Amino acid sequence: MAECIVVTSGKGGVGKTTTSANLGVGLALAGHRVVVVDADIGLRNLDVILGLENRIVYDLVQVIEGECRLKQALIRDKRVEGLYLLPAAQTRDKNAVGPDDMRRLVAEMKETFDYVIIDCPAGIEQGFKNSIAGADRAIIVTTPEVSAIRDADRIIGMVEAHDLPEPDLIINRYRAGMVQRGDMMNQEDILEILAIPLIGLVPDHEDVIISANRGRPAVFDDDSVIGQAYRRITDRVVGHDVAFPDFNQKSGVWATMKRWMGLSPMQEAV
Amino acid sequence: MRGFFAKIQNTVFGSEVHSKDDAKQRLKVLLIHDQVALTPAQLDAMKLEIMEVIGKYVEFEADHVEFKLSREDGSISLVSNVPVRRVTARA
Repeated sequence: MAECIVVTSGKGGVGKTTTSANLGVGLALAGHRVVVVDADIGLRNLDVILGLENRIVYDLVQVIEGECRLKQALIRDKRVEGLYLLPAAQTRDKNAVGPDDMRRLVAEMKETFDYVIIDCPAGIEQGFKNSIAGADRAIIVTTPEVSAIRDADRIIGMVEAHDLPEPDLIINRYRAGMVQRGDMMNQEDILEILAIPLIGLVPDHEDVIISANRGRPAVFDDDSVIGQAYRRITDRVVGHDVAFPDFNQKSGVWATMKRWMGLSPMQEAV
Repeated sequence: MRGFFAKIQNTVFGSEVHSKDDAKQRLKVLLIHDQVALTPAQLDAMKLEIMEVIGKYVEFEADHVEFKLSREDGSISLVSNVPVRRVTARA
């Protein structure tokens, strides 16, 4: 049965779009038919993260306003079988679309696809309401910071108020070294506060920037720690029980010495 | 100098307050106030009214009364600790 998952956070800049892109690609790599929807009308970005920005003809608003058919607006990602993008409009604003429009659109997409992934804009206004309107479940992205967790808590309350099931949590930009020093909340600290199930832990890593530069989500790359983290997330999203690797283990004496002497960068593997 | 020794002591015995503990503590208070739409003045007023009622029945140490909102698993409770000196009224 088809499922619509909204990726949301409240706060901007915590990694919703990166998460949506990697989850979409990950699901497609696992053999599912997937459409990723950029619901950030006026500030589209998912196309860039996916490297599909040059192929946009029509957008979500044009589909809703009947200027084109859904099929015409969908962009097929040639790198993986079964992955499509529905881009946001860049020259319109969030009020061009309403929750009922989104519900209808999602219902139509669910006829063709196994997964509809909605990349929600930041904030709690119209864009958020549109994004969760057609969703069956939500994934909340946060970072280990006071402001991001505060907003996540607010969003969790709003998701539950919309009769969606308890959302799952992804903790992004996790830095094992800072956690070990006691300068960053660990996952237990965050889960104690937010009290929803953890579905992903993504380290803070330069691969995120590099993959954004190239327009090629890290999940394509087997060797990337970010890619591996998103593969595990993908597996958990489809219902597999995948263990969280122990990233908080102390590093060896030699590695610590080298780090002190500045010979090797801090490894942050999650 | 005392600060220096305190720092050494903290480092050696691991009693230093880490910044993540500050973050967690601040968040807990923040989330309660995000959820409970009461101003500090309203909370004080409630505390006074409740103390007034308790005072009708028991004698207590007003200076040591604690009232705090706490949050566990997403739900909020009002926790109060009232040290009783003796019961003044009888049923």
